[in-house]
Amino acid sequence: MIDLVNVSRLYHRGADEIHALERVSLHVDRGRFVALMGPSGSGKSTLLNALAGLDRPNSGEVTVAGKRLNEMSEDELAAFRAHTVGFVFQFFNLIPVLSAVENVELPLLLTNLSKAERRQRAETALRVVGLSDRADHRPRELSGGEQQRVAIARSIVTDAELIVADEPTGDLDAKNAEEILSLLQTLRRDFGKTVVIVTHDPRAEKWVDEVIHLDKGILLEKRPGGAARGAAGATG
Amino acid sequence: MALPLSYSWRSLLARGSRTAFTVAVIALVVIATTLFWSLIGSLKRTLVSSGSPHNLVVMRKGATNDGSSQLSLEAYQTIRFFEGIAKDAAGNPLVSPELVVQPFFHTTGGTRENVLVRGVEAPALLVHDEVKISEGRMIQPSSGEAVVGRIVAKRYRGATLGSMLRFGNADWKVVGIMDAGGSSFESEVWVDARELANNAKRPLPYSGFRVRVAADADMDALARRIGDDQRWALEATREIDYYKHLSSTANTLYIIVAFLAVLAGIGAIFGATNNMYAAVQARTSEIGTLRALGFSRGAILGAFLAESVMMAGFAFAIGAAVSWLLAIGISTAMGGIGFASQTFTTNVVVLRVAPQDLLMPLALSVLIGVFGGLAPAAAAARLRPVDALRKA
Amino acid sequence: MKYLPLVWRNLGRNPLRSFLTAAAIALAIALVCILRTMPAGLDAVLASAAANTRISTHNEAGIVYSMPYAYLAKVRSVPGVVAAISWNWFGGAIDISKGVEFPNFAVDADGLAEVYADWGVDPKVFEDFRKYRDAALVGRATFEKHGWKVGDVITLQSTVFPVTLSFRIVGEVPTNGGSLYFQREYLAQALAAAGVQFDTLGMIWSRVDDPDRVGPVMRQIDEMFHNSEAITSTETEKSFIGNFFSGLKQLVTIIQIVAALVTLCIVFIAANTASMSIRERVGEIAILKAIGFRKQTIFTTLLAEAGLLALVAGIAGAATAWAMLKGLQMYATGAGPQLGPLTAFIVSRVILVQAVFIAFFIGILAGWVPAFGASRRSVAQTLREVF
Repeated sequence: MIDLVNVSRLYHRGADEIHALERVSLHVDRGRFVALMGPSGSGKSTLLNALAGLDRPNSGEVTVAGKRLNEMSEDELAAFRAHTVGFVFQFFNLIPVLSAVENVELPLLLTNLSKAERRQRAETALRVVGLSDRADHRPRELSGGEQQRVAIARSIVTDAELIVADEPTGDLDAKNAEEILSLLQTLRRDFGKTVVIVTHDPRAEKWVDEVIHLDKGILLEKRPGGAARGAAGATG
Repeated sequence: MALPLSYSWRSLLARGSRTAFTVAVIALVVIATTLFWSLIGSLKRTLVSSGSPHNLVVMRKGATNDGSSQLSLEAYQTIRFFEGIAKDAAGNPLVSPELVVQPFFHTTGGTRENVLVRGVEAPALLVHDEVKISEGRMIQPSSGEAVVGRIVAKRYRGATLGSMLRFGNADWKVVGIMDAGGSSFESEVWVDARELANNAKRPLPYSGFRVRVAADADMDALARRIGDDQRWALEATREIDYYKHLSSTANTLYIIVAFLAVLAGIGAIFGATNNMYAAVQARTSEIGTLRALGFSRGAILGAFLAESVMMAGFAFAIGAAVSWLLAIGISTAMGGIGFASQTFTTNVVVLRVAPQDLLMPLALSVLIGVFGGLAPAAAAARLRPVDALRKA
Repeated sequence: MKYLPLVWRNLGRNPLRSFLTAAAIALAIALVCILRTMPAGLDAVLASAAANTRISTHNEAGIVYSMPYAYLAKVRSVPGVVAAISWNWFGGAIDISKGVEFPNFAVDADGLAEVYADWGVDPKVFEDFRKYRDAALVGRATFEKHGWKVGDVITLQSTVFPVTLSFRIVGEVPTNGGSLYFQREYLAQALAAAGVQFDTLGMIWSRVDDPDRVGPVMRQIDEMFHNSEAITSTETEKSFIGNFFSGLKQLVTIIQIVAALVTLCIVFIAANTASMSIRERVGEIAILKAIGFRKQTIFTTLLAEAGLLALVAGIAGAATAWAMLKGLQMYATGAGPQLGPLTAFIVSRVILVQAVFIAFFIGILAGWVPAFGASRRSVAQTLREVF
């Protein structure tokens, strides 16, 4: 599903040169739940951005769902993201002036669906994450965990094959974090999505199929996660 | 304990572009208001500076200006010997009989305007003592000569010293330039009264006359005597009052401009409030810190209000300077500005921003600063330290 | 279009700010409307003199210079002149101590109806004017101001002639400002009785049969009197009125300068708000781009936000201007006689509609730079900086 070959990314912050990724190669099979982990500045977010088509590496090849991202123009990348990728971020996920269901509908504005169809799909997605009763609430009326769930609903509403989440549990307490990780696992198990998350949270290990460690832009190790080992506790 | 003014000042500078935008808005309002206000002020100053405190204007009863009056010769010849009228060294009464006609003149740009041509006799310069011949000399009677006001010389074709000025289908030689201290006489042309009456085919040679009152005489009593005389329907007014009355019609213009200024001012207040609210929002944690440190609500209110007033003050300074320059620029480019006067002639006014013209815009700026900053400053003061810090 | 709800909601993000911005823009637009209306009052007067076949003949020296009455017959004899009448300024006052309150003229009864066929006066009224020696026609503005009715008798004391005359009002002139017209013959008789000679006229107004003949006819008239005592100058009515108010041109320039300054103001107000509100949202905009919205779409929606706010403000401003103009018209018309028709404060629909468009375009202009910058920001860089 995802193939990165010798990807390097270098950027400038002020006068400094930051080597975010150094010749990283990675392969992720379809339908896997993968966690990218590592300390601050390890390059995990940069790696996520690269495979999600958000950022262009300086060198190397990125192929996702059979598409070579290096060859795409900015607009083509946007279209790619619109159809193939769903996003969940740590902050600013939701547009504060739109209700939950309107937020979920947002990616569908990029399609040709009618208003009624968009609304229907959005409501279905909200049902999957268990928030149908909060459809008309504004983000400020939702708890942190609920907001993340709405973001997840939004990420699946276009039937994206790949779901990426950057620190989805970063701002949440233990109970909510578990709920979110469980939900993400459901996406992979019940809907066959490929899910890649970036996280600090060691609790995430037991939910994922594979854990990839990075530090200073280099891939250190890959090892199976809790779900692959068939660890218990992940019931829902 | 109050917050130092430098806090307010530095905060303004830190938000560079947003402050600049708001200052620009207020400054533009100041410029617009100042230009209009100065325009009227310049007009009034021109009119009010006309006229001597020692003179009376005598016209037909009911005439509001000396362009629409006529006077019989006997009336003039009788009244000039009334007691209380000043006399010159030779013992002749200082009474200046005058005829006002409004012929067409053409500006150097080709526009046609009515100009006040005043036919005068020998005593004219003695009675109108603020009028001086600054270049050339006064006219000789029956010589086809004219003296022109300073502004006339610059504005109309053929009106410079030594030229032949054409009006009334005749040519007049310009032999002198009148300087009248910026008063409306500088928009006039003076010629010999009898020649003018002939040229305009007026049966009566005079439309009114001006009287210099003797230093020890009771001016009002003399005016009453002239007005009460049953032989002729005349009215005598202090020359100062005559011009003040002419300028009073400009007062309604002040009201219109004030109305527009208030409109603009309220708009600027909204703009300033907007800006200040954004400042408060951006600095909630800063405010929380200050409150936690022990600064009172009043101190916070004062600091933000000071910021708003400083902004408005700065805008006023810029606006006043730009207006002053613009006025000079406009006057240079357009020459004087012609206003229609009640005599159906053109009163040319040179647009200048005088210090008293800036009082209203200053008041407006202060109001904008105070009212623009009040609500946001109050909101800032109301923030509880705890909330403010948490929002961060 | 499907993004319109999103655009609209974003304006509601900070309702106070949107309100204050819109209010400031609305007031500025109202001011611009009022300012632009003032010269329009002058244009309206010029346009009302649309009769392109009516010409005026006056003494070249000025309208306070008279011409011999004999000129009228000569002008009437010029080929192409359908009818011609003379005007004399009567300068009549109702109350001599108040002076002349409205223009009043002695005119020839013969030919009045033909020269001023566009006055909108009933032929029967013109008939009455000729029938009654002391008849008077009064322009609408003065008619209404004094509350007169047809049949009323009014008295005017002249400030130029030594007579006082009483007139019987036979009708109203709907399209004329506020002047009063009566028969020259009436004045002539009164002057004869007072032993005053009366053989001059102030101006001649003629109607030419064909618009194309106007130029040649005007030249012919002036040539006719070229070597006479009183040299004439003949021009079209439009030119005459234009010259009458020529002095106001400078004031109009200043008003236009100020209107431009106020318009500039609006740009700053809108730009300030646009840049503030967009700057706050960089994180959100990055998310939208991440989800797949193209930068053109982002740019357009941000621009639409500024434009929409300005448009709504423009409509509010035009409506406010409309209401204020109505008020100004009632209370301030004719104030400051120095300004003449500039204080007519007419309500010009064209100007109001233009104002709305100006507001909209200013909003777009003001929002351009912040919207462009925001749409182009690199998503990854924003995410790096914000998180």
